[in-house]
Order: sequence, then structure tokens, then C-alpha cells
Amino acid sequence: MAGTVDKMRLRDGTPLKDLVRIDEGRIAARVFTDPEIYELELERIFLRNWVAVAHETEIPHPGDYVTRWIGEDPVIVLRDKDGNIHILLNSCSHRGVEVCRASRGNVSQLVCPYHGFRYKLDGELASIPSHKEAYDGRLDKTKFNLHRARVGIYGGLIFGTWDAQAPPLEEYLSDMRWYLDLLLNRTEGGVEVVGAPHRWVVDANWKTGVDNFIGDGLHTFMAHRFAVELGVLPEDPLIGWFGYHISVGKGHGLAMVGAPERIPLPPYLGLPQELWPHFERSLTPEQRRVFEKTGTIHGSVFPNLSLLNTTTISTEEGVPRVPFLTLRVWIPRGPHRMEILSWFLVEKEGPDWYKDASRKNYERTFGMTGTFEEDDTDVWISLTRANRGLYARRHQVFNYEMGLHREPRPQTEWPGPGAAYYGDYCEANQRCFFQRWLECMTEV
Amino acid sequence: MASAFLPPADPLYQQVIVFLYEEARLLDNWRLEEWLALLADDIVYVMPVRVTREKNQGSEFDWNLYHFEENLASLKTRIKRWETQFAWGENPPPRTRRFLSSILVERGDRDDELKVTSSLLLIRNRGDAPEVSFLSAERQDVIRQTSDGLRLARRLILPDQSVLGLESLFIL
Ligand code: FES
Ligand SMILES: [Fe+2]
Repeated sequence: MAGTVDKMRLRDGTPLKDLVRIDEGRIAARVFTDPEIYELELERIFLRNWVAVAHETEIPHPGDYVTRWIGEDPVIVLRDKDGNIHILLNSCSHRGVEVCRASRGNVSQLVCPYHGFRYKLDGELASIPSHKEAYDGRLDKTKFNLHRARVGIYGGLIFGTWDAQAPPLEEYLSDMRWYLDLLLNRTEGGVEVVGAPHRWVVDANWKTGVDNFIGDGLHTFMAHRFAVELGVLPEDPLIGWFGYHISVGKGHGLAMVGAPERIPLPPYLGLPQELWPHFERSLTPEQRRVFEKTGTIHGSVFPNLSLLNTTTISTEEGVPRVPFLTLRVWIPRGPHRMEILSWFLVEKEGPDWYKDASRKNYERTFGMTGTFEEDDTDVWISLTRANRGLYARRHQVFNYEMGLHREPRPQTEWPGPGAAYYGDYCEANQRCFFQRWLECMTEV
Repeated sequence: MASAFLPPADPLYQQVIVFLYEEARLLDNWRLEEWLALLADDIVYVMPVRVTREKNQGSEFDWNLYHFEENLASLKTRIKRWETQFAWGENPPPRTRRFLSSILVERGDRDDELKVTSSLLLIRNRGDAPEVSFLSAERQDVIRQTSDGLRLARRLILPDQSVLGLESLFIL
């Protein structure tokens, strides 16, 4: 029809569904680099899904806030006097000035520095200076609250969405909760964020991080090859293979990787024994059964949250390896750039020596200056750079066939939800992510 | 008011300046084993995360999480990684240039130690991109006088950015 825009196609006529061909394991390079696709993502992904913004332990007291992002929109995540958490657009309802100017702090109300509109901590407009005179007593104050996102919390993790139609967070996370419990709820007290997150900006598309964390077991041997050279990872091309690669559904996925039979692994990722009794109380026998045999958990929650719980390497000769837990969001900053916001978390009940050693291992391997982190960001920057040109955007297609013909294991072998494949050299999770991505991009 | 800082004419001040310039030069030229030799065995090497805060809401530095929280052994691990052929973030190597200024030296808490503050501007360029990324910071060092010459005993790096604009940084 003349004059109408076909929302299922890009401007050059390419149907969106041609970009992601799940059954063949093919994804067009332009998905990662095309500015037009990026603009659509801001609307169709980031305005409609639950996006992780903070953890409850970052704002423990009334009035505590942090400023974060949902897509490219800045939000304030804060706790009010009654302990309820709100997510507010950081834009004054008068003329849009930021009402919160720091990245964390404590406030009793939000005051706009431009004309002095004041808001309560739940975003309600409390007062306007000279309100009667300025508006001749005719302004309906109830219409000028700060924009509020819906708030959902799971395992202390705070998510926001602008979409009134989005399903409740529990339903959105669905089966992924079974696995999130292994990370966030494995002790009664749960985990807490330590300090402020690492934040840095790299010239790579935001999906490169999601895609790697959700299921890229194969890259360990090559991208992190230094660890093999240093003798801390075995010289075995199958090193990242031994474990389950689980497509949870709804765009979520993770892997729980162990080791071959001949290499004994400490139980529960090598977490301190002091914590084991907590697992007994907080996890089901099925959860414990799979968790016990795991050395590394990596995964992603749709759209842009990733998680990693692993021991990586010993960062000091002679000092034993200690596992750490990191969650991070890959915040879109344009088609070719993202901000990485990476939290370090630890069990509240953990002994002090473990908290210290775990933090250092995180900082040194997966923090902003971390040795592994740098291996990963380097290749993501590279793939973003290499596929921006018009030829690549038209003709380069990435291969996501790994494990396409593999069958999931039966429930008797893998008691958790989702389709569990044996062997983490698999791209089923990446396909699961992009399938959901395509659904969102074509749900208009 | 008498300044506690050593005057530039003081031979000790000059020694410190040469030490810091030499150290920066070793790092800029990736002579990292030689750089390690300038560190005291008990080196404490830290860079806290910075957060943006309102005035009067406390320190911007977060003393709970760090970009660097290192000792000699962990710095050695970082450098051993660099020495493999597979530190992809450093191969091809970035070009770095460390600019130091505002160097102030005063007597330390121990007789053999000096407290040194300086401003650092690190410029980093990589590959064929004409753009550079940079990091600026205040450094607070403790430099120790030993029979083998000066040694870095403590380095505290206070970055001027809360969101870092460097794609990677394994040593500063
Ligand atoms: S823009 Fe906020 S009060 Fe006017
Ligand atoms: Fe990696």
C-alpha cells in the first residue's frame, strides 16, 4: 500500500525474518551492525521487555538511589520511605531536566534544578514553586508525575519495563528462575552486590556480549588461550565442552560446565564448605544434583543481562582459585557501542576470606581490567568493526549451526527445565536468543 | 607557610622524578619485566572504582570494589599473560604514552619512604584507528629508598572518570 510503512521489512526491502534463519543456523551480520536495526531494537526490544537495572542491595535504605539505563533512557532506581522500589524516568515532567544528577546517593525528595519542581520518592509531583500565580491556579498537578516504569524483582535483582502489556516478571523469566535460584537464592540471605559496579564503554554491539555469555563454550580454548599457555587450563581443545548447554526458552539460556570424568572437580564450583549446608536448605535436591557437578555457569537473560559464576584461574601463584559471581548488563549506546555495567556479587553468609578472594579473582579476570574480560571485548570490537561496511551488511551471514542436529537429553539425565544439550560447544542458546529477538522485532 | 614538599632543587626530588619518568618509559615500551624490578616485594597497587556523587554525599571513591587490587604476585600473573602470544587485547600491542606532571614529594611515614603525588595522563591508541582513548588520574605513591635504588612500595590510582573510556587496561 502506498504511503504505509511495512514494519516487517527494512527500508531496503529485506524482510526482518530473513535476517535470522533459526532452522538453518544463519544470522545476518547486519543484525549486529545496521543502524536501522539498532533503532528498531530500541523500540521493539528495549521498550517492551523487562530490563535489569540494579540489585536491591545497592539501595538498602530509604532514599537510596542509583541511576541506570533502560535502553537509551536514563532511569532512577530508588527506594522510598516505605521500602518500596521505584524506577523513574530521569526527566522532569516540566521541561525534561534531569532530577537526579549523580549515579548514586541518598535523597529525601527529588528537586529539579531548573524551575524547582519537587517530586516524592515514588515520582509523584509534590510541589511547584509559585504554583498558584504561575499557573493561575489552573494546573492539574496530578498529571505531572515523573514517568514510572513497572518494577519487578527476582532474587533481589530489579527489572523495569515501560510496557503495561508485558507479562509479570515471574512469567517473563519463567523457567529461567530455576537457574537464577542457583545463583541468587542458593543461601537464605541471598547474594549482595559489593561496592559500585565496574562501568566502561567499548566499541562493540550490545548483543555481542549477550551472545557470548549465553552459550559460547567454544571460544574458551582460543580467545582465552593465554590461560592454556600459562598452564592453568589444560591443553585440550575440548576444555570447554564437558557440560550442559541449556536453552531455557523465551530468549534465555545458560550453560553449566564441568570437567571430564578423569579430572576431579571440587563440588559446587569450589564454593566454601561453610556454604554447603545453606544449599541443602535453599535448593531442591534436583537443583543440588546438577549444581554439585558444575565448575562454571554462564548465561544470559533476554534481552541484555548476562551472568557468570566460575573460578577462572589462580591470579596469584600458589594461591588457590576461588569462584566469583558477576552479573552484567550490556547497555546499548548506538549500533557500534555499548556500556558494560558489571556487578560483583557474593553470598551474604560467605566467610570473609572467601569474600575477599572472590572479589579479587573477579576484579583480576572479569572486571574492567580483567585478563579474560579483555580477551572477550577485543573480539567483539573486532567483529563489530569488520561488519559495518555495506558489503558485509548485505552479504555476510554468520554461522550458528553448532549443535543444530543434537538432541536434548531426557529429564532423567537433566532434571532442570529447558532443552539441555550435552556439550557446551553448541549454539542452541544463541539461536534461542535470536529466535526471541526476531519475535520481538516482528511483533508490531 | 613552610611547604612540606621537597623543593625541585633537592637531589631527592630529582631522583624521584627520574625514577617516575623511567618507570613510565618502561611501561610505554612494554618492558614489563624491567618494570617489575622497580616494585618492592610488598607492593600494594590499587585503583578504586569511582562513582558520581552529589557534593557532601561522601567520597566518590568506592573502597569496596577496585579496578586494580594487586600485589606483586598478581601483577606478575598479568604480565605473564601479556608475554604469551595470546593476549588478544594487546596483540597488536596498543601504543601508550604516559604523561606525568605536578609531581610533589614529601617525607613518608617511614624514614626510608617518600610520599609522592602526581598527575597521570595515559593516552592509548590501537590498530589503525586515528582516535585515541585516554585515562587521567591522580597517583599517590609511596617510594622507598633501598640499597638497590628507589622502589615503588605503594600506588594508589584515583581515576578522573567513573565510566572508563578504555576498551582494556591490564596495567597502568
Ligand atoms: S525543567 Fe524541571 S522544573 Fe522546569
Ligand atoms: Fe570469554
